[in-house]
Amino acid sequence: MLHGWSHRSLAGAAWQLAALVAVWCALGVQTARADDAAHFQAYHKQIQPLLARYCIDCHGGGKPEADLSLEGFTDDLKVAAATDVWLSVRDYLEAGYMPPEDATQPTPEEREQMTAWVRAELARAASQAPPSPGRVTLRRLNRAEYNNTVRDLVGIDFQPADDFPADDVGYGFDNIGDVLSMSPVLMERYMAAAQQIVERAIVVPVTARSETVSYRGVYLKRDDGQEQPSRKDSYHWLSSEGAISMMHAFPHSGTYRIRAGAYGDQAGDEPVRMALLIDGRQVHEFEVTADSSKKPGKYEVDVPVEAGKRKISLAFTNDYYDPDHKDPGQRDRNLAVGELVVIGPSSVAPPELPESHRRIFIAQPGSKMSDEAAARAILERFAQRAWRRPVEKDELQRLLALYDAVEEQDEPFERCIQVAVQAVLVSPHFLFRVERDAPGSQGERPHLINEYELASRLSYFLWSSMPDDALLEQAKAGALRKNLDSQVRRMLYDPKAKALIENFAGQWLETRNLALVELDPKLFPHYDEELRAAMIRESELFFEAIVREDRSLLELLAADFTFVNERLARHYGMEGVRGSTFQCVKTDGTRGGVVTQAAVLTLTSNSTRTSPVKRGKWILDNILGTPPPPPPPDVPELAEGDEQLRGTLRQQLEQHRTNAVCNSCHSRMDPLGFGLENFDASGAWRTRDGRHAIDASGTLPSGESFNGPRELQQVLLDNRAGFVRCFSEKMLTYALGRGLAFYDQPAVDELVAEVESGGYRFSELVLAIAGSRPFQMRAPQQESP
Amino acid sequence: MSNPLRLSRRTVLKGLGTAVALPWLEAMMPARASAAAAANKPLRMAFIYIPNGVIMEGWTPEQAGSSFKLPSTLRPLEPLQSELLVLSGLAHTKARSNGDGGGDHARSVACFLTGVQAHKTAGADIRNGVSVDQVAAAQIGSRTRLPSLEIGCEQGRQAGSCDSGYSCAYSSNISWRSESTPMPKEIDPRMVFERLFAGGDQAGQSRHLRQEYQQSILDFVTDDAQRLRDKLGQTDRRKLDEYLTAVRELETRVGQAAEETAQVKRDVPDLDVPDGVPKEYGEHMRLMTDLLVLAFQTDTTRIATFMYGNAGSNRTYPFVGVPEPHHYLSHHGNDAKKVAKLRKINEYHARQFAYLLERLKSTPEGDGSLLDNSMIVYGSAIADGNRHSHHDLPIILAGRGGGTLDTGRHLKYASETPLTNLYLAMLERVGVRAEALGDSTGPLVDLA
Repeated sequence: MLHGWSHRSLAGAAWQLAALVAVWCALGVQTARADDAAHFQAYHKQIQPLLARYCIDCHGGGKPEADLSLEGFTDDLKVAAATDVWLSVRDYLEAGYMPPEDATQPTPEEREQMTAWVRAELARAASQAPPSPGRVTLRRLNRAEYNNTVRDLVGIDFQPADDFPADDVGYGFDNIGDVLSMSPVLMERYMAAAQQIVERAIVVPVTARSETVSYRGVYLKRDDGQEQPSRKDSYHWLSSEGAISMMHAFPHSGTYRIRAGAYGDQAGDEPVRMALLIDGRQVHEFEVTADSSKKPGKYEVDVPVEAGKRKISLAFTNDYYDPDHKDPGQRDRNLAVGELVVIGPSSVAPPELPESHRRIFIAQPGSKMSDEAAARAILERFAQRAWRRPVEKDELQRLLALYDAVEEQDEPFERCIQVAVQAVLVSPHFLFRVERDAPGSQGERPHLINEYELASRLSYFLWSSMPDDALLEQAKAGALRKNLDSQVRRMLYDPKAKALIENFAGQWLETRNLALVELDPKLFPHYDEELRAAMIRESELFFEAIVREDRSLLELLAADFTFVNERLARHYGMEGVRGSTFQCVKTDGTRGGVVTQAAVLTLTSNSTRTSPVKRGKWILDNILGTPPPPPPPDVPELAEGDEQLRGTLRQQLEQHRTNAVCNSCHSRMDPLGFGLENFDASGAWRTRDGRHAIDASGTLPSGESFNGPRELQQVLLDNRAGFVRCFSEKMLTYALGRGLAFYDQPAVDELVAEVESGGYRFSELVLAIAGSRPFQMRAPQQESP
Repeated sequence: MSNPLRLSRRTVLKGLGTAVALPWLEAMMPARASAAAAANKPLRMAFIYIPNGVIMEGWTPEQAGSSFKLPSTLRPLEPLQSELLVLSGLAHTKARSNGDGGGDHARSVACFLTGVQAHKTAGADIRNGVSVDQVAAAQIGSRTRLPSLEIGCEQGRQAGSCDSGYSCAYSSNISWRSESTPMPKEIDPRMVFERLFAGGDQAGQSRHLRQEYQQSILDFVTDDAQRLRDKLGQTDRRKLDEYLTAVRELETRVGQAAEETAQVKRDVPDLDVPDGVPKEYGEHMRLMTDLLVLAFQTDTTRIATFMYGNAGSNRTYPFVGVPEPHHYLSHHGNDAKKVAKLRKINEYHARQFAYLLERLKSTPEGDGSLLDNSMIVYGSAIADGNRHSHHDLPIILAGRGGGTLDTGRHLKYASETPLTNLYLAMLERVGVRAEALGDSTGPLVDLA
């Protein structure tokens, strides 16, 4: 197994400690409290000897391994001051990495004794100081955020970020400040995207010069493909009805003069007629009265044409042939075209101004307003929205300087604005979500972020996009904190909240990875693009129902409804659903809750069979929040298909668990996965696996037994406290854009309590996060030595 | 454009639908190609990563020296044996746990070109070393339009965790610009093409905004970033530094593009560039390989990295009879059936590599071929995928390094010789000064 063997690593221990110590120092808390005496006594009496026996050989002396010394904690103060050490010790002990394999191992009891004490020490340390709200690293907009922000900023939804390199994932999400790096190739894309945006959003009036293009008649092509009959003069002859054409590129929309030099062999009772067509549509008809190549006529007309490549045709429309006419000169009527000339544009059509243009150009230079004043108004408003905060004077001044530089090149007003707007869109203030330490505070203490920053945190949390005008106005008035609840509720009802479903749920459930899952087409021929899309849609709609209808979070674990279209209903063996549209259907509860949805069941399968291990691990990771540590290397996975030798999958896994090392984790994972064995690798219902009847029973390490998916759901419901904590941690991680640390635990405890007292409703959690200390505040920056 | 005769590729592309055969007009070739041809023999370096280790029995030749027989996995390379150095005995000690626990795949791929033990984190405080390609790009990258090129055939995971507490940034990148900045790879051939050949103002669908405005914009945002930087704390500053580095590189490019005026005459083959990632892995690989060859041939860059898959890739290879996921199989437990399937995957990759070498060899340059003026590393930072071993790594160096490599041999080095020593030897050859790289102890000997 490889993917997903995360453990709750607090790897940035030193950094987190720094934050904690800072809080301590700020508050002058430097001594441990007296009632901790027993705790410290336990260290000296029981823990220190264990460390001496198992650890200090390497982690002691003048050059301790990994620069981590466990020696010298001779008094309580020194023990209490070593939180960074205890953080590492806990991680490595819990994960079982230390002591290394070739060293003497503590007994399980001793290991537990050390771990328990270290946990108690960390809890004690955390309780000594008001919890730090943490500090989010400057967050670059990720691809989804960039697309949405551009959509809301300029009003064009064209997804420029789809061409950006993929954002890397940390802590399960792709919006983590520390992981979102900025590479040269990304900078190129930002520059290009900003240019595309301004060119689409802003219309620059063309000052087109008139040009004359002429084509010789013989170069025009006959539409019916017939060769022209050869004549001595350089004219294109049409002796029967038909058209000759030329493709011409009109550079601008506007009025063009189109002229044909032509004459005719006149016969019959009317002159030669010649129609002018553009893209097959007749725009004029001429009477060609000239009758000699020596004196051809000029037939011209002014026509409005849209910019682009268009087909200009000249058609002979009134052929006449009377071989019996007594005058040979009156027997045949023909058209001869000598040249086709396009002149123009004489006037350029005023361009249709798109909504995006009007939105940016809130002022127009004119008699009442100078260019400079208009530019100032436009750029201030645009930069303020793009940067999600008021623009400072010198910033505006520099933008105007850029505007001026372009204006000096005699460019039109709109072009100058285009360049300045492009700069706004490539500026770090747009690409990053900047949070500044409050002026005056010098960032020494945890402080409330300002209301503009709060508006951005809210909008990127719930919408993956910029704050709307209502939020910015609240921030401007300093009223956002006061109206937090009503604003959050408003935001959850807004259609833009679908971002929470796509981006949070898609990553929490890992359904985004389904695109990478291939099942063996021989065994699962029905698993195609359409089914895969339907699986993802089901999970999205289900989660959306929880959000939109503000349902209980516990319904994520067990529910009697889901969403299917005909394709997915067929896959599930449900009757009576027709068409590609999804509809909400009642179920008997067997298919209810995210763990029984095909997307989750499939992405936790191997390509040829189910994997109870992966499914169990997925539940531990994403539902119960107790991820197992990674397996040691050199443990073979299960072999395929040789059942005679090794029995059923279940028997093989049982053999595996006879190994004590394996058993410690697999006894937690495998039973959960067994409960889902009635679902095959593509999530379809089954009662047999090959020759074997499905056994969907499982027994947890606690001794608790269950059989089948419905009872498994009950097991999960019984563990609701663990689920709510896990789900809250995931959503807090997503909302903050950073991994959680030990000092976040009090905040998580509060989230859990609020969700429980609020009847588990979805909005309770969102409101609790929005009001939580880590979301509202920011810790001081530590300069490392 | 400063020179009206130089055609925009877009004018050629316009209206030709999604998959277009690009007529390689001479006027489209950048001026630098000729400069390169004149300056004799620019040396190219590429590093190709294959995931999940290989079955070493099928890889390591029995005999050392110049008469050896390539074992089964490497058989597709037989026609090219005289162009290869098979290097045995190299190791990556920093890919090992060294107290960091599980996560060998992420750790080893992070180490592959850096020789540094990646800091174990799911996000906060990502730290790795600078990779060999970027050490080179920093010193000699400015000689070509693109300092370096990063490509691959597999998208990173979009959710969940990647490997035992390591951020996905580690498992989906081999190229590292700085300790904390990976160079993301491009997997969409169209985007690679755009990057390589979209001309100086790569920013442009249209040419309306002039070059100097781009320069002014970059000046403006540099100023922005510097002012902002002064007001931020340390971790935030690191992000701004990444930003400033990126802007500086773009400025250089914009400047260079303005200089490129002359035209070049050179024959370049047609290439079908689809709009998006091809469904077939084989077609995807071939296209990316073609693009890599073009990048070298046109001297658009001399430094490239190519990930055939991400660390711990679970891609399936049903087209060679392997419907099971690769990583899953790699823990084969010596099961003969699984081993046989892994060999098929290894051989499939070797075939793709052979295709690259053949393309390079069949591209003439000066008196010889493009391959003569290249050094292509092919291999993995894991030897046996079952045990996650990081010694005796599967490593091939192909190409003659401009005559500085005596190819056609199998060299056995003392066990635990750092792989980074090979990189040092390569850096020497391209004229890059580097005292050390990661855990290197000195340039690898006996290559010439």
